[in-house]
Amino acid sequence: MELELLNIEKSFGDKKVLTGVSFKAEGGKAFGLLGRNGAGKTTTIRILMNVFPSDGGQVLIDGKPIDYNKIKIGYLPEERGLYPKKIILDQLVYFAQLKGMSRADAIKAIDYWLNRLDMTEHRTKRLDTLSKGNQQKIQLITALAHDPDIVILDEPFSGLDPVNAMLLKDVVKEQIAIGKIVLFSSHQMSYIEEFCDSIAIINKGVIVLHGDLRDIKRDYPRDRLVVRTQAPDAIRKDFGSVCSSTEDGGLMIRLSSPSEKQQIMMRITENYDIDEIKVFEPSLNDIFVEYAGDAPKEA
Amino acid sequence: MNQFGTILKFELKYFFKNKTFVGITIFFVVLIAAVMFFPRIISIFESDDPDEGNTPFSKPVMLVKTDDTAKEDAVKDIFETYFTDYDVRLATENIEEIQKMIIAGVAECAFVMQNDTSFTYYVNNLSLYDTNAEIASEAVSRVYQMNAMINEGISAQDAADIINFRVSGEVVSLGKSQIQNFFYTYIMIFALYMVILLYGQMVATNVATEKSSRAMELLVTSAKPTSMMFGKVLASCLAGLIQLIAIFGSAVLFYNLNRSYWGENMIIDSIFNIPASLLVYMLVFFILGFLIYAFMFGAVGSTATKLEDINTSVMPITMLFIVAFIVVMMSMTSGEVDNPAMIVCSFIPFTSPMAMFTRIAMSTVPWYEIAISIAILVGSTIGVGVISAKIYRMGVLMYGTPPTIGNLIKAALKS
Repeated sequence: MELELLNIEKSFGDKKVLTGVSFKAEGGKAFGLLGRNGAGKTTTIRILMNVFPSDGGQVLIDGKPIDYNKIKIGYLPEERGLYPKKIILDQLVYFAQLKGMSRADAIKAIDYWLNRLDMTEHRTKRLDTLSKGNQQKIQLITALAHDPDIVILDEPFSGLDPVNAMLLKDVVKEQIAIGKIVLFSSHQMSYIEEFCDSIAIINKGVIVLHGDLRDIKRDYPRDRLVVRTQAPDAIRKDFGSVCSSTEDGGLMIRLSSPSEKQQIMMRITENYDIDEIKVFEPSLNDIFVEYAGDAPKEA
Repeated sequence: MNQFGTILKFELKYFFKNKTFVGITIFFVVLIAAVMFFPRIISIFESDDPDEGNTPFSKPVMLVKTDDTAKEDAVKDIFETYFTDYDVRLATENIEEIQKMIIAGVAECAFVMQNDTSFTYYVNNLSLYDTNAEIASEAVSRVYQMNAMINEGISAQDAADIINFRVSGEVVSLGKSQIQNFFYTYIMIFALYMVILLYGQMVATNVATEKSSRAMELLVTSAKPTSMMFGKVLASCLAGLIQLIAIFGSAVLFYNLNRSYWGENMIIDSIFNIPASLLVYMLVFFILGFLIYAFMFGAVGSTATKLEDINTSVMPITMLFIVAFIVVMMSMTSGEVDNPAMIVCSFIPFTSPMAMFTRIAMSTVPWYEIAISIAILVGSTIGVGVISAKIYRMGVLMYGTPPTIGNLIKAALKS
């Protein structure tokens, strides 16, 4: 299955929120939708979920307009919230029924997920008696209980302790493995890097970068070298202003063109005692800051 | 439709699990039971104590002092017939002593006759409703008239017959008798007022709670806003109706269980003899009035970001409703339910549930006026429902400063 957003446009009043937003996400893979606060992520997700219509463009499943009666979507909103004063089982069943499940099926699915997330003991408690992390796990069940085709997780890891984060990672990996489209939206780049095969960066309502994460990294200009050595001073002296220190104690050498790469690498390995030399690959964090910063680059 | 049913059931369950809702209902049922069983309980105590006689309470003492001891018995007789609620006793004490007795509480009041045609009434605290002096004045003048006739040669028996002659008259009301319908109309209007305001506020708070707890984020992606809005409003309408039926139903039930103990109490009797057609009108106006207000409350609730905003946001709606209530109540107590203000109000959808209902109950309204009023109300309820659902749709995802009502309606009409 393939989800595609095609030229989505949206304005609220006079304010243009989305301009020609397009991206593709495949089943069995995780997709990361990145952007700063207010960039248009939530609006995109809401249009995708048919909360309100777009002004233009299409949401397609396998090339055909999405049929919301057939395609089930699970959503973990960034602003977490359920009914704090109500019994956990009651509200989980309610949300599952709203998604079209029968009561019996809903209870069965919810019991599975409560067990899977170690929450069975809280089944009949009121939601506000739970810790924040546990409330979040309950919220996750609302996104997964009805066995959705598309799972949208907005900042899924915020507020989770490492053990629960691990549990959630496993769950997400399972969902990806059984062929679902998993759409991530997060500011925690390490998680996106860990899960997502492809990403889209949205800035001020425009997709500024979109594609396979490895391709994006590979296509990045390969004009920087990272060197680790016990004797950095000599190299620094030799290369002068093109050499700078990296945060983790290595050296970064900026080349005047990628074609110099081989020659410079050889020169360094022959002349200096080094531990490691490699072409610099930007982290997702670097890419994000570059594309989602105030002066967006054209992709 | 399926979603709507799920929401309706969920919201209805909220009411029946809500301790306040259940508590208030039980409180009223118990209160009504206590009132309805009161005469029966009293009668149990009465029959248990045969020594105390038929009167459970001793009557207050009324002293009567005449200027002429020869007339004492006749005067006492007259006062006894006129003041059956009092233990009438002849006083031999002088005026100072009588006054002291009244202040001390030995006697409640006293009549001191100066001569055949004048008296002084002594009482400790004069009540607003004290008509003893008027009654005594009538009694004394009757004695005077009778004595005058006897002096003119008419026999005492004839004189008494002439004086006591009563013209028989009958009142036939071709329309409705306000004496009969005032109390139940009052109760029904009051119930309508309380239920709409209470439940309307509840709908608004409910929506705002979902929004402020961010449960809305998930709800809007799971259900259609129209289903959510209508489900919520209809659930509270049903809950209100069930509560009313529980309270009024228990009143009818307990009254019938104790009917024989209530005797001929005109007010109670009239309350439990509401014409069936009026109950149907009550139901129609209750449902329509409830819906039109609940939709507005729901829409306003959806625009509030915080729960604290609710009170100020719903103020205009509450004010509108209170004004309608005051107009109706004032017209009712004035006895003129067909005054121009009421006629106008009975066609305005926001006031007609109370105004038209009162007119139907207390006056005779042509059928076409009722039909027009209900038609306008039905149309407006649907209109308000549609607009409210649109406002709700926009409102639930809007955080920050609540937009003005004008802007909302404009935006709703545009979309």
